[in-house]
Amino acid sequence: MGRPVAIIGVGQTKHGRRMDVSYPELVREAVVAVFNETGLTPNDIDGVVSGTMPSMMEGIALTHFYFADAMQAAGKPIMKTETCGSTGVSIAHTAYYWVASGMADLVLAVGHEKMNEGNSQATMTTVAEPFYQRYFISGAPGVFSMQSQMWMDRYNIPEEKIRDAAAFISVTHHDDAFDNPYAHIKMKVTMDEVKNARIITYPVRLLDVCPNSDGACAVIFASKDMVKKLGRKPAWVKGVGYRGEEYFFGDSDKVVWESAIQAAKQAYDQAGIKNPRKELDVAEVYNPFTFQEMLFYECFGFCEPGESPDMVLKGTFTRKGELPCDPSGGTLCTNPIGATGLIRVAEAALQVTGKAGDHQIPKAKLALSHAMGGVDQFNGIMILGSKL
Amino acid sequence: MAKQVAIVAVAQNAGAESKDNFYDQAYAVTKEVLDKAGMTRDDIGTVISASSDVFHGGISCANSYYWETTGAFLKNASRQDGESLFALFYGAMRIMTGHYDTALVIGLCKGSENPSNDTCTLMYADPFYQRGVGLTETMAAALQMRLYMERYGVTEEQCAKVAVKNLGNGLRNPYAHKKGRYTVDDILGSERLIDPLTALQVAPKSEGMVALILASAKKAKEVADKPVWIKGFGSSLDNYYVGDRDLLNGQLKNAADRAYKMAGITDPEKKIDVAEITEPYAFQELMWYEGLGFCKEGEGGRLMDSGFTGMNGRIPVNPSGGVLANNPYVSRGLQRVVEAVLQIRGEAGEKQVPKTVKTALAHGTHGYAGQCHAVAILGR
Repeated sequence: MGRPVAIIGVGQTKHGRRMDVSYPELVREAVVAVFNETGLTPNDIDGVVSGTMPSMMEGIALTHFYFADAMQAAGKPIMKTETCGSTGVSIAHTAYYWVASGMADLVLAVGHEKMNEGNSQATMTTVAEPFYQRYFISGAPGVFSMQSQMWMDRYNIPEEKIRDAAAFISVTHHDDAFDNPYAHIKMKVTMDEVKNARIITYPVRLLDVCPNSDGACAVIFASKDMVKKLGRKPAWVKGVGYRGEEYFFGDSDKVVWESAIQAAKQAYDQAGIKNPRKELDVAEVYNPFTFQEMLFYECFGFCEPGESPDMVLKGTFTRKGELPCDPSGGTLCTNPIGATGLIRVAEAALQVTGKAGDHQIPKAKLALSHAMGGVDQFNGIMILGSKL
Repeated sequence: MAKQVAIVAVAQNAGAESKDNFYDQAYAVTKEVLDKAGMTRDDIGTVISASSDVFHGGISCANSYYWETTGAFLKNASRQDGESLFALFYGAMRIMTGHYDTALVIGLCKGSENPSNDTCTLMYADPFYQRGVGLTETMAAALQMRLYMERYGVTEEQCAKVAVKNLGNGLRNPYAHKKGRYTVDDILGSERLIDPLTALQVAPKSEGMVALILASAKKAKEVADKPVWIKGFGSSLDNYYVGDRDLLNGQLKNAADRAYKMAGITDPEKKIDVAEITEPYAFQELMWYEGLGFCKEGEGGRLMDSGFTGMNGRIPVNPSGGVLANNPYVSRGLQRVVEAVLQIRGEAGEKQVPKTVKTALAHGTHGYAGQCHAVAILGR
């Protein structure tokens, strides 16, 4: 529906602890990268979509002002999209609708975060409702730990098995990150190291958790006419799905997680996907925590409920497996939050255009990208394909 | 953009301070707009809200907080930050793709739970150079006003007349926060906040929950007797550093030209019947007349003197009292849209302008000295 839309170029910063650049310089690095990659200039762009985490993160409000110059957006139509952790994928959705509606032919989407200049867990604590929930929902790990426990309990999954599967995910993703030139954490870890790492909030341990990263990502969305005119290899947008649920953490089931299930279903329906594990070639799942990645596999229909630890340990989701997930190392190794969802989209685009370099999945034609946000509340999906 | 997306229902609650909490206020306006459209939550395809974390009572990820109360539970919804007119555009675009037949667009701001507007706008300043000097929207506006008066010979009296007009118009608006019959001397004699701005020339900090339902052409015909069509929209962003910009040659003209072009308007001073614009500082209304093409550069003051923009003028501007009368920072742009819709439908009550309104303009701005502008053209 709407006009066909494709991604024709992506740019990323080297993610990590970037004390060598200011926040605007970081944003500019990604924007310059996408212009260099596509050969386009700022004059070619019809509109710019900007987004990040809440103002408390770096202490700057309405960052589209601050980054007007870094995004080369002066004199251009602008949109500013924010949906907490899912911001990155929501920026991509905004750019998609802008082009699909016929209101623009080339839209630049920019996501960014410089987390080392703020306190991310303090910021996330202020997402929680101030009267009842803020006292015990401190930051992200608390929420995800409760969810992990709920999941283990629901399906009676032996704790040891789930621990092994989580460690397996941590080990493989940390290995994958070595092949991604933009990844933040590049370190070799062993199963034993993950299993014995310091506890953050039970059962989540240090090596089950993503880092605080500085990073930005810029992606250019184009209409079909523009794809033809520019002659660039496109990653076509095949499906966009998004759902949000209750604000109060205890109000909804986070195991049979409706926002994740329905967001994926909306995107699958648009893309005509019936059996995601068979039809998708690669997925970039938003995985700030190892345990949560497994839960997403189940919600997205990559396997049956309660089955994911077994599948993980069989290697189904490794780079050589049936459905490779997060070959970039994923959010677990790189998490500049406002950019993270857009990085998932960018990585999916690189895969289906064969430009993912050392972490390319051979012959990838159809890819899923995903981001999650709020107090375990929002899920957004974008599916990209090499064919229209 | 000929008759693709219509506004089929509008609702607002606004004012100085409400005893209702945020949830109740947001729910009330959502329910009201659904009732007016004869719809339930099930009839809504997508929800686009507008809010800002810095104007959200100390709660981050604002839309996380009000998700269900604005009808978005298990819907594909999203959010725009800073300027609520962006949410109108985004809702319209989603319908134009054919993905959705209806969109609920809602702007939310509860001023009474926020610190002063300028405590928040100080957070726009870069933390290294400008925040330390205390640059806020009001300070940037004062610099802009001085420049405007000096370059074009606009007088303080002409600027004050905007406040006289708008606070007077506010008397007819039940939702207005600030209103009254003032003279130019009253305005100029009020406390001098940052020279040359006086207190009555600066918008207050208000509450405002504003909701609209958008529908595709087909759906609009089914559900609305008096659909109001979105005919054009445009926005534009300026460079960041105030010192890098010519503060009198900003981005409004770009934003307006984009909206006019989409609406097929070449002579706005003739085609626009009423305008609701965002003038957080009185003199800015004069500057925006120029940017919107109602008069030539530097002639905003003279246009004001001529009565062109009064209730009985050729283009009444801000018959609701505008932002000087009511300023829910984030939702004020969408509130202009609601007022424009009421004028087109002839339902503006005492503030209805004494003429037939076929085409109306709504404008929003935010940022230092109008760093960002957005314009929407609405019509029958």
